[in-house]
Amino acid sequence: MIKRIRFHLNGEKKEIEADVSLSLLDVLRDVLGMTGTKHGCGKGECGACTVIVNGKAVNSCLFPIMKAEGAEVLTVEGLQKGGELHPIQQAFIDKGAVQCGYCTPGMLLSAKALLDENPSPTRLEVKAAIGGNICRCTGYVKIEEAILSAAELIKEGR
Amino acid sequence: MYNYVGKSLPRQDGYDKVTGAGVFTHDVRLPDMLHAKVLRSPHAHARILSIDTSEALALEGVRAVVTWENSPRVLFNASDAHTGTMPPNKPVLDQYVFDNVVRYVGDEVAAVAALTPGLAEKACGLIKVEYEVLPAVFDPLEAMEEGAPDVHKTELKNTPVPPFQIAIGNFQEAYESSEYKVDVSMKVPVQKHAQLETNAAVADYRDGRLTVYSTTQSVHPTKQILALIMGMPESKVRVLNPPYVGGAFGVRCGLSAKAEPIAAILSRMANKPVRCVYDREEDFIASDSRHSGYLQAKLGADKDGVFQALEIRGVLNKGAYTSFGVEVVGVMCAMSLAIYRVPNVACHGRTVYTNVQAGGAMRGFGNPQGTAVVEMAVDAMAKKLNMDPKEIRLKNILEAGDPWCLPFMNSSTALAECIEKAAERIKWSEKRNAFKAGKIRRGVGLAVGNHVSNAWPFCVDFDSVYLRLEADGSLQLATGVPDIGQGSGTTLMQVAAEALGSEFETVAITFSDTETTPFDVGSHASRTLYAVGICILEAAKDLKRQVLEYTAAMWGARAEDLTLERGVIRGAGGETPLRELCREAHLLSKEFIAVGRTTPPNAPSWHAHAAEVEVDTETGMVRVVKYVAAHDCGTAVNPQIVEGQIEGGVAMGIGYALREEIVRDEEGVPYNNGYHKYMLATAGDMPEIEAIIVECSDGSGPFGAKGVGESAMVPSAPAILAAVEDAVGVRYGEMPLTPERVLNGLR
Ligand code: FES
Ligand code: FES
Repeated sequence: MIKRIRFHLNGEKKEIEADVSLSLLDVLRDVLGMTGTKHGCGKGECGACTVIVNGKAVNSCLFPIMKAEGAEVLTVEGLQKGGELHPIQQAFIDKGAVQCGYCTPGMLLSAKALLDENPSPTRLEVKAAIGGNICRCTGYVKIEEAILSAAELIKEGR
Repeated sequence: MYNYVGKSLPRQDGYDKVTGAGVFTHDVRLPDMLHAKVLRSPHAHARILSIDTSEALALEGVRAVVTWENSPRVLFNASDAHTGTMPPNKPVLDQYVFDNVVRYVGDEVAAVAALTPGLAEKACGLIKVEYEVLPAVFDPLEAMEEGAPDVHKTELKNTPVPPFQIAIGNFQEAYESSEYKVDVSMKVPVQKHAQLETNAAVADYRDGRLTVYSTTQSVHPTKQILALIMGMPESKVRVLNPPYVGGAFGVRCGLSAKAEPIAAILSRMANKPVRCVYDREEDFIASDSRHSGYLQAKLGADKDGVFQALEIRGVLNKGAYTSFGVEVVGVMCAMSLAIYRVPNVACHGRTVYTNVQAGGAMRGFGNPQGTAVVEMAVDAMAKKLNMDPKEIRLKNILEAGDPWCLPFMNSSTALAECIEKAAERIKWSEKRNAFKAGKIRRGVGLAVGNHVSNAWPFCVDFDSVYLRLEADGSLQLATGVPDIGQGSGTTLMQVAAEALGSEFETVAITFSDTETTPFDVGSHASRTLYAVGICILEAAKDLKRQVLEYTAAMWGARAEDLTLERGVIRGAGGETPLRELCREAHLLSKEFIAVGRTTPPNAPSWHAHAAEVEVDTETGMVRVVKYVAAHDCGTAVNPQIVEGQIEGGVAMGIGYALREEIVRDEEGVPYNNGYHKYMLATAGDMPEIEAIIVECSDGSGPFGAKGVGESAMVPSAPAILAAVEDAVGVRYGEMPLTPERVLNGLR
């Protein structure tokens, strides 16, 4: 069944027609052609598809598109502001937290949701916030360091 | 001091990857593209008596259905071994894209191309297959026995290639006459790459030309295999990464679990682009794994703990098809025999066909298995002699220049320093053999080893690169080697800028596209920086000579008096930016361009790991508390990238020791077919990891660099097993150390 759905995507109004059985991830990647959000398993087991919906990090592969009606959705494409990288993005580059980069969009959004809520997390809180995001390349070390350093950058207002 | 080498410059692909702009194969969308889905075997071994595809073809929106009856009957090897097996060995060609016999649960039976993935999947369900189920065998020791089912017809029972053997000195005699002897055995599990981007390809066949976007880690060999299967000239087949690859770790040294030929054949049939992306379960059950198997090591020493004799024997589970065959057992035996100074060594390694997914390349390539059993033997010997495991290692490790079983020089080593540093940081002298009591026990362990910096002498290994100066003096580097996430794009640019004397900011790189780059064997064997870097040095030397000779002629000076550094030519009283020189040369119809062509040698990269663990003697849970990994990787061209490789390798090694395993039921159906069931570690499971770089520059590598990508995976399992032994007094001979195994051992 095709339905009309309205929501905000990265601050812009979106009105689309989509099959109600689709997930938010399907709509992002296949209907809107926004492939920054990754598909790693489709089952809620890897976090590669993490986006922020109404301030909360969710697995978009499990998020029915109908539930996005009226929601504010933030994806990796919406992190940059006016051509400037978000401090979390910058910290990921500076700290060497990016290797293959496939987990990166999901990690960034999990980190953003954490720092929006808790600007001074401990390392354990960082680990918990990315607990649903799998990375096979980094052993998580530099990802954790990047998120902790992003917290500092944000506090310093950079 | 270098300008760019040795500096942690930010990665060239960082921006693309943090903004979502970077394109991976999963993201490639071509106009009018169809979607493929594969029908897989539910049986571990069966003959296909009939396939009826009529209902599937009749489904609205289905454009092509392919089975063994209408696909190329061309035998191939899905890995780089297809074109990279070293003579006199021959590559084993034992599979078709589709066959009328299926040999493991998950083997390809048919594939459909349709307008949507959903339709393709539905059509797969409409294909009627009649099977004659055949007897199957899953364990390599059983498969070697007379009377076991034949997975393929082979001269030596279920054995695709003759066993790999080395004999130096007289092992048997030396072992028997040794004052102290140990004999240990291990059983190692199936480990899976579990890279984040599943195997995938998007193929576009038209008018006798084929373009394939692919997740492969070796575009040129993949092009060669595809050309053979499709019956096309290699020049008409273009394989490229788009350009990013979501991890690999060996799973696509060659084809990406056949996604490329399946998409290509369907594209040719349907005359449309076809996207073939495997789901996570397919990736787990139907792509190569690390070889599981059985290992044994015998070690003899004199009363002072000086090693006299060492033998390794191994039987590895090849699975249903040969990708790498003799190469993996070759590395397993040869590299683990090349750690210690032992006058009498021998090995015997055999890979055996069974009805499970193929064993292939995975980070370490046989070395983690071999090192695990050798290090177990060394610990057993230390115990027998009542020696400190650290001291027995320091006493016996190879020094640079010592003879060994490998056909290249043991040219450099800082292993002793790695051992000292790792031991110091884990607080070895304080913690080893500390008094233990109570429910939770702690222990520390140490393991060491050696790995390669490229694939030779185990596989064919060579590259060419282009270097070209633009008319404004900026530098173009073109190499066929993929960057599968390790950062080689960045480090190779550092090498190019340093070697030529360019400004780093003006260097650009094209990589992993067969249409725009010369031949390269691929991104594997810890080789990208070492082997491609050597090639870049050669091209840069030529390019620099061209530039300086040209300048010298203009200035009426001698080329040897001129230098080029950071984009400025100086000497003989003159000075000119490269930018201006190239502009002038361009107006006089001159382009500076060079090709580097090398067959690289090889260099050993050494490592010592120390782990501290906590064992809960009631639940059997093992937790790594702290982990130290010290690596002699030669010169660290980009230390931050090196650390990243070490940390990621350690995480995979901890998984190998403690969690990761694919197990099957009696019918050969794998249980661990997704991230949760495979128990892949998340951030909370990781200990503090300390990566230590011990620089020991090697004469053969670019600016002294050696390999590092795989080596952090190599000694991690034995380091953890040794720490568990220190904690609870049991040396486990089977991995991973699940709570159940731990408790069984404690009983
Ligand atoms: S793709 Fe959504 S959790 Fe893996
Ligand atoms: S960087 Fe490759 S999975 Fe995280």
